[in-house]
Amino acid sequence: MGRLLISRQITLWTAVAVLIIAGVLPLCLVLATSLADVGNYTSTLGNARIWRIFRTSLVLTVLTTVLAGFAGIPLGLLFARTDLPMRRVLTFALSMPLLFPPYILAVGWYEVLGRGGLLAQWAGSPVGEVTSRWLFGLPGAVLVLTTAFLPVVLLLTMTYVNAVNPTLEQAARLFSGWPAVIRSITIPLAAPGVLLSLVLVFLLTMGEFGAPAFLRVTVFPVATFTELTAFYNFGAATAAALPLVAVALLGLTMEQRVLRGKSFQFGWDGGREPSLLPLGRIRTPLCLLVTLAVLLVVALPLGALVFRGLSLAALGEAWDRAGGSAARSLGYSAVSATALAGLGFFLAYVIHRRAVVCWRWVDAAMLFLFTLPGTVIGIGLIALWNRRSTNWIYATPAILVIGYVAQYAVIGTRIILAGFAQTSSAVEEAAEVAGAGWFRRVFGILVPILGPSITMSWVVTFLFCLRDVSLPLLLAPPGYDTLTARTMTLMANGSAELIAALCLLSMSLTAVPLIVYGAARRMGSKAT
Amino acid sequence: MSAIEFQGVWKRYDDRAAVAGLSFRIEEGERVVVHGPSGCGKTTVLRLIAGFLAPDVGRVLVGGKPVAADGRILVSPEHRHLGMVFQDLALWPHLTVAQNLDFALKAQRLASEIRRQRIADMLARVQLNGLADVYPARLSGGQQQRVAIARALVAQPLAVLMDEPLSNLDDELRDELCGQILDLHAQLGFTLVYVTHSKEEMRRIGSRVIRLRDGKEEIP
Repeated sequence: MGRLLISRQITLWTAVAVLIIAGVLPLCLVLATSLADVGNYTSTLGNARIWRIFRTSLVLTVLTTVLAGFAGIPLGLLFARTDLPMRRVLTFALSMPLLFPPYILAVGWYEVLGRGGLLAQWAGSPVGEVTSRWLFGLPGAVLVLTTAFLPVVLLLTMTYVNAVNPTLEQAARLFSGWPAVIRSITIPLAAPGVLLSLVLVFLLTMGEFGAPAFLRVTVFPVATFTELTAFYNFGAATAAALPLVAVALLGLTMEQRVLRGKSFQFGWDGGREPSLLPLGRIRTPLCLLVTLAVLLVVALPLGALVFRGLSLAALGEAWDRAGGSAARSLGYSAVSATALAGLGFFLAYVIHRRAVVCWRWVDAAMLFLFTLPGTVIGIGLIALWNRRSTNWIYATPAILVIGYVAQYAVIGTRIILAGFAQTSSAVEEAAEVAGAGWFRRVFGILVPILGPSITMSWVVTFLFCLRDVSLPLLLAPPGYDTLTARTMTLMANGSAELIAALCLLSMSLTAVPLIVYGAARRMGSKAT
Repeated sequence: MSAIEFQGVWKRYDDRAAVAGLSFRIEEGERVVVHGPSGCGKTTVLRLIAGFLAPDVGRVLVGGKPVAADGRILVSPEHRHLGMVFQDLALWPHLTVAQNLDFALKAQRLASEIRRQRIADMLARVQLNGLADVYPARLSGGQQQRVAIARALVAQPLAVLMDEPLSNLDDELRDELCGQILDLHAQLGFTLVYVTHSKEEMRRIGSRVIRLRDGKEEIP
């Protein structure tokens, strides 16, 4: 019994140690190093330019969050609680931008609104000049990032609205019509999730690097990146990252305050389908309006990319110049997703079973790492691993995998945690009573039961790794870059056709995990 | 005039008829228990009366007026003037006890003073004085049950529907609440449709019993 307990504790503490080494230690080290020379802080934070950049970042972030909420919350309610036709298709179409790095949308909009874009070709170059100036600035960045992060609000609103016990709404329907029920019951009960989505959009926008860099909007992650890569000013880069860390901490605090202990309304068994608000006469016009919006904000920029990049010559050149990067992207993402699924399983176990004393800290640390911009995590990892003694890691793609693990551990863990929450702990206890050891319980009972959650965790983290820009730009060793990093590099001097083709290549890579997931589900359903 | 009436009502889920040609009348002020084994269609009957479901065939009348017929809802739930106690109580967790009751009254557009008076009166009747500003999660199981009953009654509905409201309670509390429901009925004289699979509750609550089996009324 004692030996079994020890093997369990060793495994779980190892998982916690991996998280600490991958994410927490680099951050602590970078903070301690930069504090050694306070001059970094006084010169960087006393610089008016830094605060101008911070103001630009803040304006971009607030506008994006407000607009994403303004569009995403009503759409989430519409898709989750009304009889709008084609809800699934529209949800999928609006969620598509989440699958790609936001710079792909920026390139798509460039093909529509840029000087040589579709609009300029149709309405004349003076119009193109105006729209191009508008795109390469704050308004363009807001448009791109709102489209890119609207799915976060949409999907979380839908998830939390669908999680509201329908009986609570039916009880209210006895006294009031649907509008009052949605206003007084559904929205307040789903509010923690909706707020969480807004916090996430805020943090994702604050940390976004690729799209603002392409649109030449100098925001904080871009400034931090420049300090590090152009001047190799490590102390200044760390100091410049400090406001981002503060914002991430604020986001973490909000998440903890908003969601802690507010899961009371989600305790229903899911046995009863929610009633849908009949839209009546406005059903068809509303469907047409939403379809039009989808065509405008998703199909138009992505269609323009296809229009520009879908030629044999462009695709051939893209493959020649970035085929290796594409293959590496797939490889790194697959390895990282596998590591994240494995780590996520044990960390989810730690949190669900409260199996180590610091389980709450583990949860908070993962969330904090996710809310940090990739540039900050990248700086931390460089500080920790860029030494002669650890060059065997730093000079290889392993450093990138470590970066992905640090940044996305929370995603893999929370998906598997949801699986744990739906699984009775009695299944493990029954195996324990039957004499099964820790590893037999894990691999013989828990892993098969949680298979769908683990697969989902793998697919989602794969997608996040695949679309990441800032970590590979900072961490991938020479000759080992990813497709996103190569595309960002080629943007400086590549032709529009080549860039569009690279974006199409990037988009087609996202099909890989979806095919894997589809195949896994089919195999799973055949097996059952 | 009958309070509730079913005229040849059918309701199917996929290939299974949950309610199969059911007809009955419930008079005003009656205490009717709908009794039967699990899956016999009891809850479907209540959901048809409440307006959450429409009958595939047949008519449902509330207060003498047709409210649903042949696949169509003619009167939506909020206009049927009914109260309901759900099996899982469905107390709104983000609202206090008083706010739970007030939601039911707000739809009637009563002055706030009258609403406050009605809430205080109803809470006194169910022995929940002093708990108006407490959230449901802070209450005991029995107190939560009383809030659900008070919420169903506070708007002075035409009829109150109860869907196995005491099924999750221990014997002692169930006995106490059965007595309280009968007391409230004696005081307020509402029409009660009470669904249960418990013979004990059936005997205590019902002045008349509709026995269901496979969606049909079972004639003894």
